[in-house]
Amino acid sequence: MSQTRRQSLYMTEHGAAHERAGWRVWLRKLTPYFYLAPALIVIVVFVYLPLIRTVEISLHQGNLLNPTRTYVGLDNYIELITGKLFGEILLQSALYLLFAVIGSVIVPISLAMLTLQLTDREVDFYQSALFLPTVIAFNVVVLIWAFFFLPTTGGLFNQILAAFGQPPSDWLKDPLLALPSIALIANWKIMGFHFLLAIAGLKAIPKEYLEAAYVDGASGWQLMRRIILPLFAPTGLFILIITLIGAMDAVFTPIRIMTEGGPNNATNNLMYAIFSEGFRFFRVGQASALSIILIVLFGGLIYWQYRLFDRNVSYDR
Amino acid sequence: MTVKSQRSLWLARIILFSATLLILAPLVYLLGISFKPPEQIFANVLSPFSSELTLTNYTNVIETVPLLGYLWNSLLFACGVAIGQLLLALPAAYAFSYYTFRFKNLLLALVLLSLMVPFVVTYIPNYLLLSQFRLVNTLPGLILPMLGVSLGFGIFLLRQHFMSFQKEIMEAAMIDGATSWQTLVHVVAPANLSAITAVLVYVLINTWNQFIWPLLITGGREEAYTLTVGVQMYFTNPEGGNRWGSIMAASMLTALPTIIIYLLMRKAILRTFTEGAVKG
Repeated sequence: MSQTRRQSLYMTEHGAAHERAGWRVWLRKLTPYFYLAPALIVIVVFVYLPLIRTVEISLHQGNLLNPTRTYVGLDNYIELITGKLFGEILLQSALYLLFAVIGSVIVPISLAMLTLQLTDREVDFYQSALFLPTVIAFNVVVLIWAFFFLPTTGGLFNQILAAFGQPPSDWLKDPLLALPSIALIANWKIMGFHFLLAIAGLKAIPKEYLEAAYVDGASGWQLMRRIILPLFAPTGLFILIITLIGAMDAVFTPIRIMTEGGPNNATNNLMYAIFSEGFRFFRVGQASALSIILIVLFGGLIYWQYRLFDRNVSYDR
Repeated sequence: MTVKSQRSLWLARIILFSATLLILAPLVYLLGISFKPPEQIFANVLSPFSSELTLTNYTNVIETVPLLGYLWNSLLFACGVAIGQLLLALPAAYAFSYYTFRFKNLLLALVLLSLMVPFVVTYIPNYLLLSQFRLVNTLPGLILPMLGVSLGFGIFLLRQHFMSFQKEIMEAAMIDGATSWQTLVHVVAPANLSAITAVLVYVLINTWNQFIWPLLITGGREEAYTLTVGVQMYFTNPEGGNRWGSIMAASMLTALPTIIIYLLMRKAILRTFTEGAVKG
């Protein structure tokens, strides 16, 4: 398009003085860079330079005040990977991702599928209602749930347990219950956004396909398997990827406020460990090494998604 | 419709409706407890409301916590980041959607890949950068790094909407003698007002709700607390007694502005997100 636009603009200028036109063409060539410069500078200064700085810090030994005191090469990485903590948080991260896939992929997509036969007004209502938790400050949300999870017999969840004749439980200090409890909060908070995306993906499926299949006598299950699921797959994959990337970020605030990664690292994960190593234990070298490992893992995930999308597209054709 | 599909439709309705009730329940408790008389909160925990409603919790919080100061900080923080990001994203999205230039794809990739860097990863280096310039515990220190954090998202979303905008209108404006900046301000921006509003509101809400970052940057100075940090400090501060009513009242006051903005802008926000996602 811009080729034709440029040509038409050149033509209108045809009569202009030559050196003025030359200067103008130059300026026009530079225009997009002027538009981009402020945004790019901000992104480079506050995202990419910090990233480079993180690599630098990860190769040094020091503290929060003087993070690059002595160069130690890959010592931080070696210490981290051979240490006890790394294996534990890797396992806990994987376990948490499992909860996140259930709560932030399977549940919202299933709920979205249930809206297929509903009227637009109903869909609009559910979208708006389920999106509500996502607009409330996360630490406020955590305070509400802290009240539910109170370990005393007066706590709401313990009252429910009591109604079924069960003894009260200390949800957030129990090594088995802490992670599911934290996961419940984080997934409750972000689920509405994924529900919204799932609805958008379903709405993008052309109605004619569904009607044609229906006229041809396809059963509900056939319709789902042969038409809806294949056409929905890219959206589903997108939701899965943003869940895998965003899950540990989403559970960060509840961990910070409620468990600080405990009991016994049961609620710790790669992302929270970066924070706690850096700002609680002031081991910035280790924290930075963890950061780099996390980014490499994410990079791999995104590359994998890219390949998967590529393959999906070629299957379609 | 057959009897069977009628039945499955009603089943879907029942499941969706009960799921929604369950999901909204915590918010009902938040509202209810904030109006319960403090001594009645544990009288019947299962019921979110008590027969007697009171404003005690609200007056209690407003008297003991300088909420107005926190509110002001939150407002400056959220507006600063939202307006700043919009001013940065608007021309960038414009360049990415209407211009062809060298390194365009590379620069776009640079913008989008910045979204893959978790905010947590930048905490330590950004904190060090700010302390170098003595910006810790200040408003500019709070705002500046946040400008870069989700900027790529705003640029991407606006670009998606700009690209579907009629190019002929733009060309007509340019041929009529409008400069490219005038075209952006007077033609492209007004035509995409709903997307721009949605991005602005999204960043506003997201920034207002930030907790960890303001805690790190303003945690050392009470006058600089945002609402989220202030409420949290009030929660952790052991003053004894049963303060759940007051805590919920403070939480309500923190949550109310974003809920109101969301309810007012609901249509624009939901539409922009779904359209951006499908086009993406």
